[in-house]
Amino acid sequence: MNELSPIQLILDASFEVKIVMIILLALSVISWVIIVQRYLVLNAAKSGVRSFEERFWSGMDLSQLYKEGTQMQKEDIQIVGMENIFRAGFKEFMRLRQQASVDKEAIMEGAQRAMRVAFAREEEKLERHLPFLATVGSVSPYIGLFGTVIGIMYAFIGLAGQSQATLQVVAPGIAEALIATAMGLFAAIPAVVAYNRYSALLDAITSSYVTFSDEFSSILHRQVHSN
Amino acid sequence: MNNAFNNLVIFNGYPLAIVVAVTMHAGLLMLLLYLQSGNRVEALELVQPTVVKALFIDENPQVRNQRVIEQRRIQREQEQRQAAEAQRRREEQQAEQARRDAAEQARQEQARQEEARAEAQRQAALREQELRDQRRAEELRQQREQEVRDAEQRRQQELAEAERRRQREEAERARQAEAEAAAAAEAARNEFELVQSATGLIQQLVQEHWSRPPSARNGMRAIIQIRMLPTGEVTEAIITQSSGDPAFDRSAENAVHRAAPFSELQDLPINVFNANFRSLSLIFEPQDLLN
Repeated sequence: MNELSPIQLILDASFEVKIVMIILLALSVISWVIIVQRYLVLNAAKSGVRSFEERFWSGMDLSQLYKEGTQMQKEDIQIVGMENIFRAGFKEFMRLRQQASVDKEAIMEGAQRAMRVAFAREEEKLERHLPFLATVGSVSPYIGLFGTVIGIMYAFIGLAGQSQATLQVVAPGIAEALIATAMGLFAAIPAVVAYNRYSALLDAITSSYVTFSDEFSSILHRQVHSN
Repeated sequence: MNNAFNNLVIFNGYPLAIVVAVTMHAGLLMLLLYLQSGNRVEALELVQPTVVKALFIDENPQVRNQRVIEQRRIQREQEQRQAAEAQRRREEQQAEQARRDAAEQARQEQARQEEARAEAQRQAALREQELRDQRRAEELRQQREQEVRDAEQRRQQELAEAERRRQREEAERARQAEAEAAAAAEAARNEFELVQSATGLIQQLVQEHWSRPPSARNGMRAIIQIRMLPTGEVTEAIITQSSGDPAFDRSAENAVHRAAPFSELQDLPINVFNANFRSLSLIFEPQDLLN
């Protein structure tokens, strides 16, 4: 072997190291799929928060807002995040208000419960797959290290058969083994970065949901007690 | 407002995400391949330094020996050619001499015949027996002539015989020369192998014992001439060409002294040792340093 390039090293690697490399490549691809998909989902949620808050505080009538949402659903436009919470709470509120026997506290409680449920659903949607990123970020360096250890082990086994141990004999084996660690880090670094970034974003979005549902229930509370 | 995102997020954005991720990995792989193909030469130089720590010229005993053998061969051929030439000349002279002798003899013979004939005619004119005499003389003459012819024939046969003998001898000589050359070549090959393996051994031993000072740089070159006994002991090591760095020179000298004695040289035939290893030049030239 007179030419040492990473590609050549990968092709010449032993079976176990190749398996490790394939696993790491798959993990890297999957984690990037998740990174991109989460980016789209979380950004949609964030911009949904902004645009809905704009509409909500524009002084528009709440029933009018609700009707617009129904219209959008009919047009097959997906309703995201905060609007879902609003719709769940408002729907429950209107239903309970139409029943004369229900008292004011029960109406508020029902609306708040419906919003809590919708909030939990939304949060679950946003959180999905993020644990996988965390797992890839923490585990793939270890997998890479495992491949490296196996590769170095084989390099030393090969070295035992040599009468004269020079650097030229050990170097290719170690270089080949180190490729596995490099791939592990290659998979882990974006996953960790994305996980941290997305959990911060997720916190911001869920806290804005919580704030909104509190504000909304205070509006409903005002309406219930106004008459 | 949400439409752009809604379109992107079709099926929760999975198709787009998969396409992006796979494309990114494929692109990175291509980039790696491209960089590798571009930087191949440089990478090779960086990753694989030459193994050679010390080079030997041992004032090239092989070449010297071959030169000597070649000279000897040429000399021998010349001698043979000269000998053959002399032989040929000698034979020619002999043949010439023989021819001259025969001609002289024939002439004398003829003169004698003439005399005899004149005598016979005189006698015939004088006596009545002349006819008988003449006949006898005639017979004699014929006999003589016959003898001359025979002599001529014999001479030619001898010449042909000599020629054949000469050719045979020449062929014999050529065959001998060929055999000698083959034997010499065989001996030279054996010697070459011996010298080669012994040189390799010395080189390896010296390399193992050579620890270079930190001041050593690629391209430095020190030549050390060593004198050895047939036992493989080094009697003398002189720096014939300094590298300019005293520490480097000293390390080379120390390497020789530490590697000595080369006891494997005892196994060499004494003539091979004398021809190749009595005095040996070693070149110390680091080539694998990274600086």
